[in-house]
Amino acid sequence: MESRRDRFEAHRGEAGYSWLYRASVLNGGTRVLFTILVISLAAGLFAWYARSENDPAPDSLFGLIYAIIGSLLLLFAATLYTLRKRSHRRRVVGGLRASLGWHMCFAIIGLAFLGMHSFGELNPRTGTYALYGMVALVISGLIGRMLDRLMPRLIAGEVHQVLTEEGDDRIETISQKLQAIVVHNTQDIRGFAVSGQTKSAASNSLVPLAQNRPVAWQDQTLHTPWDLAYISLESTPQELSREAGQFRFVPDEKSELLRPGALMPGSQEHISELEEVRQAMQHELFYRYVIRYWRAFHVLLALVTLGLLVWHVVYALQLMIPPLMH
Amino acid sequence: MFKNKSSGHGVRLHKTGPQVIQELHACIGCNECLLACPALGEPLTIDVLNRETLSGPISRPVAQFARSCYQCGACVAPCPVGLHRDAMMMWLKVRLLRAGWGE
Repeated sequence: MESRRDRFEAHRGEAGYSWLYRASVLNGGTRVLFTILVISLAAGLFAWYARSENDPAPDSLFGLIYAIIGSLLLLFAATLYTLRKRSHRRRVVGGLRASLGWHMCFAIIGLAFLGMHSFGELNPRTGTYALYGMVALVISGLIGRMLDRLMPRLIAGEVHQVLTEEGDDRIETISQKLQAIVVHNTQDIRGFAVSGQTKSAASNSLVPLAQNRPVAWQDQTLHTPWDLAYISLESTPQELSREAGQFRFVPDEKSELLRPGALMPGSQEHISELEEVRQAMQHELFYRYVIRYWRAFHVLLALVTLGLLVWHVVYALQLMIPPLMH
Repeated sequence: MFKNKSSGHGVRLHKTGPQVIQELHACIGCNECLLACPALGEPLTIDVLNRETLSGPISRPVAQFARSCYQCGACVAPCPVGLHRDAMMMWLKVRLLRAGWGE
């Protein structure tokens, strides 16, 4: 019975694009365990040192060791993923995802080490600014991962609105329907009654007019050009005015299209549907930009933090080297 | 407000079903997009991905890949024939979404 159900599930296939989806990757668990283990060990050592020593300070030997380990881990986190991403050697399917996982893992461990290196001294000095930079960097990375989960689902929702069930562009489909309405109304306008005076004028013209051709428009006679080579730059009665309400495609407040019954039933729904699709496309583009610019922001923050770290290292060396020289 | 760039590294909008089908038929199966993907967790062949993107039931590995994909666009640049795997993945996601709502 179970196997039959499994076969049915396999035949039907996977469905749903849930927010609560969790990838079943075994290595992810290993990395989380490794991170917790290393941070716990470092915290244990830190607690032991803070209790046993009289002067727990960032520039103590213990503090310096933590600073070096933390900085190396952060640099490793930054370079490992970046180089792996750009490298074309020894690539395997899924390898980059593992690198991204280690990137996050080393960044969190590195931040923990540097936090402990400060020994709670958060005076407005170079080290504190560098630490704040690193906190912001790690938080931006974590927010980025959340956005990576959130944004594609929002995009898919918008794309679902923009595409028809068959996968065609809904704007095109709606536009075709609206075009049909416009054509229908144009045909209605061509069916206007012709006055007797204009009829006689039309019968006197040198060029015979087609039966269904409009010969009058708003009580004005439609002139037939005697010379086909002659093209007047003046607007002719046959030309449709852009301001004429019945030819406006998208109505505004002044448009006669807003008059009830001006168009075929359903035109308003099509126009509002068109607006919804347009908005969905704008939202889609916005969400894509959020993904892209948040990544750029994270990289920018990494560069700023690197600068602050270098500033702090130079400052610390200036304080430490002179006493060693004497 | 936002401009849609169809080439280079600009942000692209989705593609329609016929466009996706056209791109899937143009895929040469070199696997470069999957190698460059930071979201793919388990091995997956491009043939299976292409087949299930197009139509029919979606298997668990392909669905998991589609759910993990975060539209970073890393798959687009390495494609030797200039296809947009991100747009194909979006098509797959919409299929998953609609299949989920249809239940």
